[in-house]
Amino acid sequence: MNFRYSLEVLTITAIIAFSGIFLYTSSTGNGAEYTGSDTAGSQGIAELSGIPLENFQPLIPQWKPPSGEIESCLFALQAAAGGAMVGGVFGFWMGSQKKA
Amino acid sequence: MEGFLPLQWCIVWWFIALPCLMIGLHQLKKVLAADREALPLLGVTGGFIFILSALKLPSVTGSCSHPTGTGLSTTSFGPWITSVVCAIVLLFQSLFLAHGGLSVLGANIVSMGVVGPIMGYAVYRMLRDTSVNMYLTVFLVTALADMFTYVTTSLELALAYPAETGGYFSSFILFLGIFAVTQLPLAIVEGIVLALVFKYIVVLKPDILIRLKIFSEEKINAARDDAS
Repeated sequence: MNFRYSLEVLTITAIIAFSGIFLYTSSTGNGAEYTGSDTAGSQGIAELSGIPLENFQPLIPQWKPPSGEIESCLFALQAAAGGAMVGGVFGFWMGSQKKA
Repeated sequence: MEGFLPLQWCIVWWFIALPCLMIGLHQLKKVLAADREALPLLGVTGGFIFILSALKLPSVTGSCSHPTGTGLSTTSFGPWITSVVCAIVLLFQSLFLAHGGLSVLGANIVSMGVVGPIMGYAVYRMLRDTSVNMYLTVFLVTALADMFTYVTTSLELALAYPAETGGYFSSFILFLGIFAVTQLPLAIVEGIVLALVFKYIVVLKPDILIRLKIFSEEKINAARDDAS
């Protein structure tokens, strides 16, 4: 490969294409709700088993984030923890490479 | 999805998950004792499981799902250690996000941490010693580990809820339609992104990849020359 950044270009292209497809499908108003596939799966289970959705209760009592805001906060914390790990290690590697 | 898997199936999947976690913990101890420099690599590969599994992405099917991020860890450390990292993430999501749950944790560890990574690892072992490009290998490992996670979820649900007509098979197809189709574009994008991350690991820390014999020295050195 003569061009050094082909993988970078491919990644950016893929992300732009992915976003573009999303923008197109979500703006053409096909009634998609963008709920989680877990929600769609639960509905599938309810249909298959003939048991109404609200009858499925946790087997082990479970704390639920009281609102979507708090849920997204906790998801962001999870991603931030991962980001800190990745950034920390990459920085450590770059630093030790410079020293050597 | 806490509550959606009948108790007997929760127990079955826990019984499969636990030995895998034991092997993983044992391997983890051995790898870290043999080479302390494996720890930062574990941090990077595990970090991406934390990041990617927190992102619920919209897909072309009009529903959202999240990638698994297990490809890098599978390539570097194999499926068993990956299952340990997944168990940590899934436990966090069960306790604080009501995403998954303690009873279905076993089933989720099996799909995300065991079957997906085993499929990815099989591809890695098949391609590692061939002339196939390293980044293409990482792409395939990642995309397949992601896809097979959701194929396994579909299978777990189909086994618990066979359709009245058509039985297990038609119920499996139904769940595949919900989970796997949504996942396909996400798996492809995830594969490309993690292949790029792997390139940066090759550039920054090639020696640990060589020492852990993740890819051959020739392949890594050649890729490094290309990148600099």
